[in-house]
Amino acid sequence: MVGKTKRHTTMLFCLSLLALLPLAAAESPVISMSLLPTIQYQAKDDTWTDTMVADLSVSLASKREGNVRGEVVLQGNSLNPTPSFDSIVQKAYFKARFPSFRLTGGKTRLSWGDGMLFNAGDVLYGSNDASVSLTQAELRSTTNWLASVNYPLGLFSFAEAVVMPSETGVPIDMLFGARYYTTVKDIKMEVGYASMNPASSVRVHKPYLSLQGNLGFDWYLSSSVAIPEAGDIATETGESWMISGGVFHLMTLPLDRSLTLRLEFLTRPFGRWETGAVKDSDAALLLYPEVVLAYSPSLSFSLRAIISPLDLSAVSTLGMSWNIFDAFNLIGSISLATGEDGDLFAWSSSTSSSFSATVGSSWVF
Amino acid sequence: MSNKPKKLQRYNRLQKIMILGILLFSIPAMIFALSADEIIQEMDRLSTFETTYSTGSIQTLDRFGTKTSLFKSWSQGKKDSLIEFTSKAERGQKILRTEGSLYLFYPDAEQLIRMQGAALRQSMLGSDISYEDMTEEKNTLDNYTAKLEQNETFKGNECYVLTLTAKTRSVAYPIQKIWVDTETYLTWKAEYSTAQGRLLKEMEVLETFVSEGRVIPKQSKIEDKMKKDSSTLMSVDSFEANPKLDRSIFTLENLTW
Repeated sequence: MVGKTKRHTTMLFCLSLLALLPLAAAESPVISMSLLPTIQYQAKDDTWTDTMVADLSVSLASKREGNVRGEVVLQGNSLNPTPSFDSIVQKAYFKARFPSFRLTGGKTRLSWGDGMLFNAGDVLYGSNDASVSLTQAELRSTTNWLASVNYPLGLFSFAEAVVMPSETGVPIDMLFGARYYTTVKDIKMEVGYASMNPASSVRVHKPYLSLQGNLGFDWYLSSSVAIPEAGDIATETGESWMISGGVFHLMTLPLDRSLTLRLEFLTRPFGRWETGAVKDSDAALLLYPEVVLAYSPSLSFSLRAIISPLDLSAVSTLGMSWNIFDAFNLIGSISLATGEDGDLFAWSSSTSSSFSATVGSSWVF
Repeated sequence: MSNKPKKLQRYNRLQKIMILGILLFSIPAMIFALSADEIIQEMDRLSTFETTYSTGSIQTLDRFGTKTSLFKSWSQGKKDSLIEFTSKAERGQKILRTEGSLYLFYPDAEQLIRMQGAALRQSMLGSDISYEDMTEEKNTLDNYTAKLEQNETFKGNECYVLTLTAKTRSVAYPIQKIWVDTETYLTWKAEYSTAQGRLLKEMEVLETFVSEGRVIPKQSKIEDKMKKDSSTLMSVDSFEANPKLDRSIFTLENLTW
């Protein structure tokens, strides 16, 4: 019995040593922590709840030298008390630089297309719904297991190919895609394609085009369609057509303050131009206005909203971020849904809170 | 009576000799005096190396204390520069300026952003330095016309005082007043103003070092005159002049690496 315990202890010790060995070759870990006490009101049930939303992530990165590098980011959230392996491992990837191309393997993110909230060019993860928290600095952060090859084609151009595992576990259902990124005069142009087979569906082919430029203000435009291999191809292709775009401008104000204005839209020209019982992922038109006042380089106030112009409903978030000390921020926000029953952002929605207020802090060390 | 014309003649002759003497002494000074453009060209030449590699820090001071960001920087000639932040909060964020374009890379989102227009004037990491300041191209006369105002002693250093007026609207500061060392051509001080002459920022070199026979700022203080109790200290901790750099450093491929 004692021998068995000893053996187990030795094995555990050896495993711990093995796990810690890579740390010797790593940069010091970066820990991100945010503690956000939140009060929510659900109008449908007339209930108030208070929640401590605690987010923790630990990043272990290799030294930024040589031709191979990698990173593991582990994440935990108090709202998910029974996490899965996939939700804990936010990132786990390596990058290897060969003489003429670069290989990336593991769980990470590829940012295709342009757009902060709405991005029709994001054919890999689909940045086209409204189910995001407007209190986050980074609105889209989905990662996935993938293998990609990046092939440089000059100073400002490259081609990239990607393969992702299937949702069904069947090799033939794997996602694959490629894009070409270049700059033509003053316009950045991206053209790409992805083919995937979502679970319980037929394979779809998604070509996209994304442009970005400046006309005194920054502008960006993306468009994509999803062409199914079977079924009513013409109708489904038409309904899947998405166009997203945005304008961004920064105005310098007196006393070194600045006002950042952003307006994004997402439209499905053959989508459901009607009100009631429409999911955000089917809505024909959505808008995302954002106003950020940088009162000083360390203190900013923001107003963000997702608006459904067809039923005149919206979810709005008023936020504040104050970077007091090195990477230590005080954060506050108030979110409010303003819509009637049956609207996209109904006050008495059963799936999201009607009102929420958060005051907390975040720290990176 | 007869003495008077003789005296007058002698006086006139003396006057002519004096004028001739002054002219003779000042002609070489006029010939060898540098014009404002030549001073700026020399200033740019001496502050530009074929290639550089440096490490340093940006310290932002305000009433709550000091925030420090560490960086590595590579440059090539007048137009190419790459900055990579190494401090924990910003680790892996990179800024590339090449061929007149500025790109940012955020490793957390694996996002590549091309910056244009007014976005370039955003404060970098909450400091008094904008993205444009940090990666400024060293071809001053392409963007400014220079006028030599006077010579002045600044902190014991004889300096040319020049006013630079922007030729285009694309520059961050319409007017700059700079104090350039008459021997080393180091810019000891600069005042950055609006077209109406309103002072926006002030830069002062606090410490210097010598590399390849050139005097380089080791520590500079940048103060935003629009803000109270706020300044930024930019320090160079290590500096290597003319290291062998691969051209691929200044590409999108390396930026996203």
